[in-house]
Amino acid sequence: MKFSEVFDVIVVGGGHAGTEAALASARSGCKTLLLSHNIETLGQMSCNPSIGGIGKGHLVKEVDALGGAMAHATDIGGIQFRILNSSKGYAVRATRAQADRMLYKQAIRTMLENQPNLWLFQQAVDDLLVEQDKVVGVVTQLGLRFSAKTVVLTAGTFLAGLIHVGQANYQAGRAGDPPSLSLAHRLRELQLPVGRLKTGTPPRIDGRTIDYSVLQEQPGDDPVPVFSFMGNAAQHPKQMPCWITETSERTHEIIRGGLDRSPLFTGVIEGVGPRYCPSIEDKITRFAGKTSHQIFLEPEGLTTHEIYPNGISTSLPFDVQVELVRSIKGLENFRRLKWVGKKTFNAIQHHLI
Amino acid sequence: MFQQKSDTIAAVATAQGRGGVGVVRISGSGIAAVANAVLGKLPVPRHATFGDFLDENGEAIDQGIALYFPGPHSYTGEDVLELQGHGGTAILHLLLQRCLSLNVRLAEPGEFTRRAFLNDKIDLAQAESVADLIEATTTEAARSAMRSLHGEFSAIIHTLVDELITLRMLVEAMLDFPEEDIEVVDTTLRDQLLHNIQIKLQQTLLSAKQGSLLREGAHIALVGRPNVGKSSLLNRLSGEEVALVSDVPGTTRDVIRQAIQIRGVPLHIMDTAGLRSSEDEVENMGMARTHQTLQRADLILLLLDGSAGLSVKDEEILASFPADIPHLLVYNKADLLGEKNLALRSDAISISAKTGTGIEELRERMLKLIGWQNQESGAFIARERHLKALNLAQSHLVNATEVLNHPELFAEELRLTQHELNCITGKFTADNLLGEIFSRFCIGK
Repeated sequence: MKFSEVFDVIVVGGGHAGTEAALASARSGCKTLLLSHNIETLGQMSCNPSIGGIGKGHLVKEVDALGGAMAHATDIGGIQFRILNSSKGYAVRATRAQADRMLYKQAIRTMLENQPNLWLFQQAVDDLLVEQDKVVGVVTQLGLRFSAKTVVLTAGTFLAGLIHVGQANYQAGRAGDPPSLSLAHRLRELQLPVGRLKTGTPPRIDGRTIDYSVLQEQPGDDPVPVFSFMGNAAQHPKQMPCWITETSERTHEIIRGGLDRSPLFTGVIEGVGPRYCPSIEDKITRFAGKTSHQIFLEPEGLTTHEIYPNGISTSLPFDVQVELVRSIKGLENFRRLKWVGKKTFNAIQHHLI
Repeated sequence: MFQQKSDTIAAVATAQGRGGVGVVRISGSGIAAVANAVLGKLPVPRHATFGDFLDENGEAIDQGIALYFPGPHSYTGEDVLELQGHGGTAILHLLLQRCLSLNVRLAEPGEFTRRAFLNDKIDLAQAESVADLIEATTTEAARSAMRSLHGEFSAIIHTLVDELITLRMLVEAMLDFPEEDIEVVDTTLRDQLLHNIQIKLQQTLLSAKQGSLLREGAHIALVGRPNVGKSSLLNRLSGEEVALVSDVPGTTRDVIRQAIQIRGVPLHIMDTAGLRSSEDEVENMGMARTHQTLQRADLILLLLDGSAGLSVKDEEILASFPADIPHLLVYNKADLLGEKNLALRSDAISISAKTGTGIEELRERMLKLIGWQNQESGAFIARERHLKALNLAQSHLVNATEVLNHPELFAEELRLTQHELNCITGKFTADNLLGEIFSRFCIGK
């Protein structure tokens, strides 16, 4: 069934990139359609509840300078702000913020829902409409056909996404969300050069089971940094500190013991990982001389107990993960709220499209 | 990574003119079609195959040997077919036209070597040494080009780059992962690595300067008043009667360039009109050009009549020399001095162009003054652009030492240093550079 409206631009996928693409397109006057398989997940922070850092922070500032949403949403939802490399020159300084997941999401949703020229529609895209080597639209799961002059693919980690935990793996776009399989298949059929990327996450922890008394507090910077060039500190909600702990030799032993069941090290996982996000397996192997690695316990929000332990992203099997976390100072009695693992997904070399 | 199907190119690979053997070289994706049409079959790879080269009617254009190299193990990395026939101009022309009629186009200058570079068979410095090898006029130059082709120059650059990367990793880890507690750079290690790199770079620069001399040679200006024997000396140095020699002052009107070699170093001797003011317009033109020539020289030889000594006019001429160019006072006509010994300054030498006295010593002094160090181990050939890149790399390293306390500026200067080195091997090339380099090759290479 052909949808009646014809659009200038269709954006497939409503994650961070899709949001910026859809807003930018609509802002410049193009009639834009944002298609997501689940509208409730628009503005969701898929991985850790933070924005920015080395390199990433630079990117957010650039997007901000071009009128993008991310920095603004971070000022609305940010609960801890710091400047990294503050003792070094300006070029390498980076802003980094922890954000309350729900406040951030709300900020993005508000922007998306109030943007003129922007249509939001909940439908998973399964196929591309191609006429004479030119893309002219998309087809969704239900068979709806949408026409547009331009289609922007921002599927994030969803294309043929696989989640690996130990030696088990299952198809998923993100924990709790289905992957885009038909679309991935279709893109391969179109003979676009496809590569594979990987990324990892750690288990989430119930904050009530953490012994904060033995940990080091890390408050945000004072004066509090502002992310957007057009923002101000008054937009920030209540601020919270992060907490710092570290791995021990015992932790490293446990990890080394489980490497033979790690899909990364057994070669099951293919793909290139993000530069600034090595897994804990990677870290203890690459920096074998270090007796401990820092872990940052990041609060997921003002109204939840969930804690994201930044620094132990892993694909090791469940039992190893449990032991590993237990061996970390302050987390001996931890209770887990969520398990995740290593994520692999298809990516298209962008310069060839 | 991204294999593009390249069109097929062909050219005569042997020099212009007649020869015993002439070679037409073809490279690209359409070799099979060409072989089938011209040879009637695709020859066994790497087997010298004797047979006829056929035209479109099946008649033999020539008879010779075909060599088929399937890629990637060929000069260009693509499929290559070489047809070795008789080296007659007409016959080669016919053979080439035959190939060009088969959906093959004429190769541009240096295009075969360019493809070799683009297909990672050789790096840029090696590609350049191919041209240098062909153009080498002295044995030493040829040997040095060969060394470069073997990758000796490239290997030195790669070692430098590797050491730079180690240093960069040390510094950049601290910038990229500030929360990993790598706050403090091991300054002793850093300083030591930096120092080692600087020493190595300096050595490479010196070697490259020698290599550059072998390739570019040096320009020597031969200056002096009329009739001091410039033309005689020129003839003596080059071993041929090149310049006009006559008793009438002012006979050498034009700046004659004569290429000679001393110990394999090419030297371009520029003979000049005898310096004196003249009524004669032609003569004046010659002298104006002389002054221009001096600017370009790497060494100026002021030839003097030894029997007359240094005159006022000579002093004037000496004073007009550019201050930054080395010069040598050459007192000629030692044969006329008899028993008299000249008290010589340190920048002077006594010779006789007529008898040959002192000529050997003159050659040695000339080499020394242009900066040639007699090397036991061979120099690799180097070009001006290599020297330029090495000099720039060196200046970035100097900058780096001045910002040791600013890690991000230090990292940037190191990055720029590596960039310059990458330009040499072609790991990084500015868009127009490749065009410039390969356009100077001859067609067929």
